[in-house]
Amino acid sequence: METHVELKTNSKMFCRCNVVETDKPNENLCPTCLGLPGSLPVPNKRAIEFITLLALSTKCQITTDGMFHRKNYFYPDLPKNYQISQFDLPVGTEGSLEIVVNGEFSTVEIERVHMEEDTGKSTHIGSGRIDSATSTHLDFNRAGIPLVEVVTKPLIKSSKEAVSYIEELRQLVIDLDISEGKLEKGNLRFDANISVAYENDDELGTKVEIKNMNSLRSLEKAIEYEISRQTKMLNNNETIIQETRHWDEKKEVTSSMRSKEGSADYRYFSDPDIPNMILSEDFIDKIKNNMPVLPSEKRNTFINSGLSIEEANSIGKSPKWMGELYKSVSDITNDSKTTFNWITGELQGQLRKLGETSPPEWMTAEQLAEIISLVKNDKISFTSGKEILAELIEEKINPEEYAISNKLIQENDTEEISKMVKEIIKENSEVLERIANGEEKLIGFLVGQVIKLSNGKVNPSVAKELLLKEIK
Amino acid sequence: MNHYKLSISEINKLFKDKKLKPSELYSEVFERAANTESIIHGHLTLFQDENIKKAADADKRYENGTELGILDGIPIAIKDNINIAGYATTCSSQMLSNYISPYDATVITKLKDEGVMFTGKTNLDEFAMGSSTENSAFGPTKNPWDPSRVPGGSSGGSAAVVSAGSAIASLGSDTGGSIRQPASFCGVVGFKPTYGTVSRFGLVAFASSLDQIGPITNNVEDSKILFNSMKGFDPFDATSGKESKTKQPKLKNAKIGIIKELMEDGISEDAKLEVQKVAKLLESQGHEIVEVSLPLTKMSISIYYLIAPAECSANLSRFDGVRYGNRVAGNTSYEMMENTRAEGFGPEVKKRILLGTYALSAGYYDAFYGQALKARAMMKKEFTETYKEVDYLISPTTPSDPFKFGEKSDNQLEMYMSDLCTIPANLVGMPAISIPTGLSSNGLPLSVQIMSPANTDNTLLEFSQKLESVVSFTSLPEIKGDVS
Amino acid sequence: MTDKIDIKNVAKLAALNLTTEEENKLEKDLSMIIDHFAALSEMNLPDEKISIHPLGTPLNLADDEAIIFLSHEEALSNAPESSDGQFVVPPSLD
Ligand SMILES: [Mg+2]
Ligand SMILES: [Zn+2]
Repeated sequence: METHVELKTNSKMFCRCNVVETDKPNENLCPTCLGLPGSLPVPNKRAIEFITLLALSTKCQITTDGMFHRKNYFYPDLPKNYQISQFDLPVGTEGSLEIVVNGEFSTVEIERVHMEEDTGKSTHIGSGRIDSATSTHLDFNRAGIPLVEVVTKPLIKSSKEAVSYIEELRQLVIDLDISEGKLEKGNLRFDANISVAYENDDELGTKVEIKNMNSLRSLEKAIEYEISRQTKMLNNNETIIQETRHWDEKKEVTSSMRSKEGSADYRYFSDPDIPNMILSEDFIDKIKNNMPVLPSEKRNTFINSGLSIEEANSIGKSPKWMGELYKSVSDITNDSKTTFNWITGELQGQLRKLGETSPPEWMTAEQLAEIISLVKNDKISFTSGKEILAELIEEKINPEEYAISNKLIQENDTEEISKMVKEIIKENSEVLERIANGEEKLIGFLVGQVIKLSNGKVNPSVAKELLLKEIK
Repeated sequence: MNHYKLSISEINKLFKDKKLKPSELYSEVFERAANTESIIHGHLTLFQDENIKKAADADKRYENGTELGILDGIPIAIKDNINIAGYATTCSSQMLSNYISPYDATVITKLKDEGVMFTGKTNLDEFAMGSSTENSAFGPTKNPWDPSRVPGGSSGGSAAVVSAGSAIASLGSDTGGSIRQPASFCGVVGFKPTYGTVSRFGLVAFASSLDQIGPITNNVEDSKILFNSMKGFDPFDATSGKESKTKQPKLKNAKIGIIKELMEDGISEDAKLEVQKVAKLLESQGHEIVEVSLPLTKMSISIYYLIAPAECSANLSRFDGVRYGNRVAGNTSYEMMENTRAEGFGPEVKKRILLGTYALSAGYYDAFYGQALKARAMMKKEFTETYKEVDYLISPTTPSDPFKFGEKSDNQLEMYMSDLCTIPANLVGMPAISIPTGLSSNGLPLSVQIMSPANTDNTLLEFSQKLESVVSFTSLPEIKGDVS
Repeated sequence: MTDKIDIKNVAKLAALNLTTEEENKLEKDLSMIIDHFAALSEMNLPDEKISIHPLGTPLNLADDEAIIFLSHEEALSNAPESSDGQFVVPPSLD
């Protein structure tokens, strides 16, 4: 996998132009990012800090005496017709990232982490298809935005693993606070290199690069499509050619791309406008000392609190408030599974229905823990718990007070319930007879009658227990 | 009385003493331009009208005693590969004949702040590639000493206008000698500072690791004034240096090395004799002269013609007709770029782009570009070692006096050899100055070049000023009619 | 050591549409220059880490602060063709 991560700096990689979203094309430009004659690149310090942070957190070796290279190719969206990138001395090499696939840990080996600049944006005018465009419009606002390219080793074995890897990387850059991490906005853009080989082959098969996957779903589909295409070809003794293929979102197939004109001889050489980049021990130590909690560390804390790997992974990749709320609530309830289910199930479900992305600010961990405890201790029914939660999302309430004032507290006093049970039995001798004749499910009807008599206050399981005792 | 050959400090004194007004000097310089430009063609554009107001403003400042500094009101010409906002930057190329820069180079901002008036933009070899200005798309500049001869290049226009008196001083850029060689041919002073001391922001790049902006002036003192007003760290240039403490060479009883390899084959008798003459003068000033050998100097043409074209091949990629420049149509954007570049660039530029592309291409990088980088590093070591023994190095600036138009245009290697003596300073990054010291047997200017370790620029200038004071050279050619 | 220079390929890499006449002349000129490099290419030089900056000056990084340099109009002022605030070129193939 080759992934480009757009960093969230204030200014561009090699100039001081604004990095902000705007509908207006060609607004954030200067001589440097527009490639005007006489302009020069000066690397952005924060971008270098960000990439170092990413390289350290993926356990990479840091190149302390690195440099920038020019990657030469002609393309109209590339203002200088060379991209400033890194070639043989990237910031990070030989790293790894722990991921979770199908509820189990796996490790993705990272080959390199390097810094480069983004290109401008082309819009092909004339027709929906590139081939029949009559002109191309160019907006250079994106040109020069800092990108980190993360390249893995060719050791990922399935589409699921690839998807989990991107999910983990995405969470990492969000937790490191170095990128918005929004796939739909192109903050993370990934290409997959896929090769299929016979089981006993020592060497990898011919590599095919797949581009244009804009979501995790299309990444998964494209990889699966490509694996089956290549497998079929091998089975038919056809030769797979090394090429770049385009994922067609609508047809769900990959198709061969016409190669960029010019050639793949990029003539890399060190950029003479930028002296060698020496990263001092001091610089690296500072970054190490300010390292935030990583997704893998967060995941381990969740696992230690009693969740499964899968649950821990899932809550770690949920919005930040969920993980935090889970931790505070489970600290009170001492019941990780129930707490996990309430937060990822009920709470998230109710919020989603309301179109909310996070709980109201008045909702506290204590309140949620109280609802969970009321249900867990049979003080209220699960249904009542859901009702109280819904109320709590609406306005600031005290769950227990609400339960009392709305008569949601269940009757657990067996003496009281026994009286009611006896009364119902008396009134339903006919039903009793039918139960005796084998219609056991009618017990449920009697339980319902008891609850009705109590105005819903009776704990159904206690009622059932007493009923059964009476009948026998 | 003519004032256009006075030194900047002399002019400044007249301004301050109210014996001369900036507007008067301005009129004089433009009148001089009117008389000489038709023969010399040093300026591509003259900023005549727009300077009337600026000159009047300068007059007022001197009247009120609020002048901005020693350069206030001084008319200076700018090589047309340095951007001035609102004016064309053509680089003497068809590619950019209509290109208007929307921004100022850092050196321009600095000079504007000092009240400098710009006379206009000067001619050069296209994109600063050449040693004669014959590669200008807008016609060559002529040597004021003899219009049948080249003024040198690539800053030929900048050297010629100072020599002719249509500017008090000028800015050039020097990648392999492009300030010093034309200064030598035109009998004026040319100074290439230490790499990185003057910001390159706004200078259209030829070869980024070699390019340096510097002054061309009538005397060493003027170079010193201009250099000090332009130098300094620039946040817009990552290669510009913060001032560092460096051991300075001696000003008295210094040890000066004559570079053996630059006194051998390929150097004319005149040029050698000039160096020997100056060596005697230096000895008479109490300095010691020794011969030193820097063997890799012999390789400098090869090293240079690999590194400079390689860098230029990428630097000139941006000229593609997409965002600016004279576009030539094509069916696809790539065809449009190919056609634009084919028509926009002249033959020498194309040749160097191709040479550099080849030197970097797959399979050739190690043998060519990679090898040149290694040799450059070794050459730097040779100079560092030598400077442990001597304070300064001396050589001819050019292998011969100015050549005639067409004389070398058919022999590319011979043309490239005319930068033999100047290239090492660019490869090593050290400062170098060319000082006119005499006339050749043809009655044309000859110069010597003095070099010193990196970041010793002001000491080199001071040392050069002392030498200048004992050579008798008058830099006012009598401009004869156009004989070409 | 001189391989024949593949002028067509080099010109393609450099995006220069040369005439046959130019190709022939440039091929000859370049071969002559490349021959001149033989002495350098054959030198035995130590393999050292290269600093591209001739003086090895440390890199000064820029602070991450945004400034406005060119207006939209200035950015497009030299455009050979533009429309709706965008630069326009003949169709490019992806
Ligand atoms: Mg990349
Ligand atoms: Zn910019």
